[in-house]
Amino acid sequence: MGRRLLPWPTASGNRLLATLAALLLAGCQGSTPLGHVVVASRGNLDSVDPVDITSFAGGQLLSAIGDPLYASDASGALRPQLAEALPILSADGLTARIRLRRDVRFHDGTPFNAEALLFSLERFRALAKLSYLLDDRITALRVLGPHELELRLKRPYSSLTALLSSSNLTPLSPTAYRNHRRRSLRDRFVGTGPYRLVSSSPHKTTLLPFAQYWGAPARNRGVHLVTLSNSTALFGALQSGEVDVLLSQGLDSDQQRALAAQAARGQLVQGTGPALEIGYLTLLSDRPPLDQPQLRHALALSIDRRLISQRVSYGMRTPLRSLIPPPMAGSEPPAWPDYNPQQARRLFERFGFCRGRRLTLPLTFRSNVPTDRLFALTWQAQLQRDLGACITLEINGVESTTAYRQLDKGAFPMILLDWAGDYPAPDNYLTPLLSCSRAAGARCLEGSSVSFGSFWTATGLQEQLQASESLHGAARTRLLRTIQRRTAHGAAYLPVWQVAPRAWARQGVSTPRFDGSGRVLLQALSQQP
Amino acid sequence: MSRRRHLIRYLSGRLALVPLMLWLIASLVFLLLRVAPGDPIDALLGTRAPQAAREALRQQLGLDQPLLVQYGHYLSDLLHGQLGNSLTNQEPVSAVIGRSLPASLELGLVALLIAAVTGLAVGFSGVARQEGRLDLAGRIYGIGTYALPPFWAAMVVQLVFAVWLGWLPVGGRFPATLEPPSGSGFYLLDSLLAGNCDQLLASLRHLVLPAGTLGLLLSGVFANALRLNLRRALDSDYVEAARSRGLNEGRVVLRHALPNALLPVLTITGITVASLIGGALLIEVTYSWPGVAFQLQEAIGQRDYPVVQGIVVVVAALVVAVSVLVDLLVALLDPRISF
Repeated sequence: MGRRLLPWPTASGNRLLATLAALLLAGCQGSTPLGHVVVASRGNLDSVDPVDITSFAGGQLLSAIGDPLYASDASGALRPQLAEALPILSADGLTARIRLRRDVRFHDGTPFNAEALLFSLERFRALAKLSYLLDDRITALRVLGPHELELRLKRPYSSLTALLSSSNLTPLSPTAYRNHRRRSLRDRFVGTGPYRLVSSSPHKTTLLPFAQYWGAPARNRGVHLVTLSNSTALFGALQSGEVDVLLSQGLDSDQQRALAAQAARGQLVQGTGPALEIGYLTLLSDRPPLDQPQLRHALALSIDRRLISQRVSYGMRTPLRSLIPPPMAGSEPPAWPDYNPQQARRLFERFGFCRGRRLTLPLTFRSNVPTDRLFALTWQAQLQRDLGACITLEINGVESTTAYRQLDKGAFPMILLDWAGDYPAPDNYLTPLLSCSRAAGARCLEGSSVSFGSFWTATGLQEQLQASESLHGAARTRLLRTIQRRTAHGAAYLPVWQVAPRAWARQGVSTPRFDGSGRVLLQALSQQP
Repeated sequence: MSRRRHLIRYLSGRLALVPLMLWLIASLVFLLLRVAPGDPIDALLGTRAPQAAREALRQQLGLDQPLLVQYGHYLSDLLHGQLGNSLTNQEPVSAVIGRSLPASLELGLVALLIAAVTGLAVGFSGVARQEGRLDLAGRIYGIGTYALPPFWAAMVVQLVFAVWLGWLPVGGRFPATLEPPSGSGFYLLDSLLAGNCDQLLASLRHLVLPAGTLGLLLSGVFANALRLNLRRALDSDYVEAARSRGLNEGRVVLRHALPNALLPVLTITGITVASLIGGALLIEVTYSWPGVAFQLQEAIGQRDYPVVQGIVVVVAALVVAVSVLVDLLVALLDPRISF
């Protein structure tokens, strides 16, 4: 016993191991080629075909390899992109003529024209998961000339230009897609954008600048979009210098805060985009106990948005008292009441609560969204502190897919959800939540209001929604405010916060800039040597 | 009956059960997915799409058909070797598995190698002096690695070696700016065959943390198994007999005790391989390793029925194949086993 049974590594063996380890750590590293930028985010890319894409990550990619007819800047202002000018509307507002640029080429070298646009839009209508974007609005498309297209609308639509700024509607080369007219093309893309797609896999996409691009050339020599599966990995990848730019989607609040603090110290650069995502509570308005509008109103007065925003997101989510995110038309002044526990208590008392009797209310949150869980816990504690004698929240988590499935069945008395319009337009925040095609009094029987789980409507609201979609200017803003006031009065939806996309870049990379849809302008990223 | 004929009969019996097992697994996963709450249409479109668009997509994906019809199509396709297409992008499930399975196998095999080498070394080292310091350290190591929660260990390792020290990549399988090796999907093998140093070392750098973490976490099982079996073997009569014949201790251990002690370890290796093929989920998710477990997790989240079904069936088939192979190997190597 006590003797060596196996030879331990010798000195030469140790040297060999050390050399191998050194090579692993330092040698042959995949350093970023000069002028290339690595951008990381969460969320896989299953397809690069606009007809398949529904995710934010997909939209981010499309905004770099495609060009919509119109584009919006971070302030929300729309300008022509592939179109030569804004649409020319007929007197009845039912026909729109769009003149197209003549100097645009697809990545395969073929020219962009009205026929190509018609091909792309028809293909989108036939195949796309989001085909309703066009089907809800457009009845027919017609080529008027080599560079002019006519759209026939179902009814006048004042956000048509915003709709046509959707990156999913980017034109595709009819030549490249001739065999994919009726099926999607997952791994190749031939559009007109500033970048051409070189390679694509669910976790990595490589883009190189398109030499014949009609607009301003990209300020870098290529972009590599990578996806990592969790927030810690994303955070670590930027800290270790593996990636140059990190997008905020899917990053935990703690890590966003740490990155913002580093940016404040000058260790990173931070860019912030327009806040197009809203977080809101849906209240089931057609069943007790929340079938009482005054009780819903009491809940509206009970949310200390500032405190919750601080505790949940360190103030990075802006408290919101409007369904339309500011600064869009109709969002100001806020229609929902501010936090007022005294008034809330009085309302609860009217229903016999607070004096030895407490309302117990279930609050559901999406268990796979960390911020939702934090919101539920924080609001529960805040209510316990401020109105503990009147109300108790029973919180429970449900995975988001399951939650969506059960919304229209009225399964959740109160649930926290989020929403971001497919394109930046005020009606994109009202119609999807409030639309109701069949109602019995204030109870919606059929429509989006049912799909979103509130079952709430009001007399004449549907007509007002439709009218707001066709009005322009001040008249439209007035009507949007009216709809918001009525919805706030109904209190079936309680806006909580709005979320602005952020991006952080390591030093030496230019500050990330955003477009009006909240996507980073990849072509504007540059790396200083 | 000769031993060979016994063996063939034993093997035939095991193989005859395979189709039944696979049918049961395939049917169970089909049923459970449909019973579970959630809907692929909701996963694809969220709450945003109007009802008409949702119904149109449901029809397009064949989800409007009665459950029995869907089951019939599924089994028929399966019998013809067709796993169907992904609901999210219509990519053939076989392509999804073909892309992700090599990643899992590569990770699993390297992790197994690390686990076996480390675990056996630790297990073996304690035998020299029972109840000595080395033996005690080995026991603590075995219990510690076995008890560590994988996600926690993976995150700590990731934080230390990738974020703080910056020695190795945080995640992924290959650097974003390099073109990955093409061929079999096993990056180490492909880059070796191509003789590409950049690709080989880039692949190794990405493999070190996930395979190292997984390997070390598994090594405790090997260490404990070898330590216990070797100790039992060293106390046995045939080892005493060998010692009494004057053989030196090294020869007694290596020639007489170790081969017998390794037989149960072979069984453990088989079970570990089987669990590694589909079970390294937490490691794959933490390190963004694009393997089948990671793919399965995403497919479940998206309620992508064909991908979930396909992965489960293929992984089940592999697990069954590995366990049959291990049983066969043990039966061949151990004359005490009768069949």
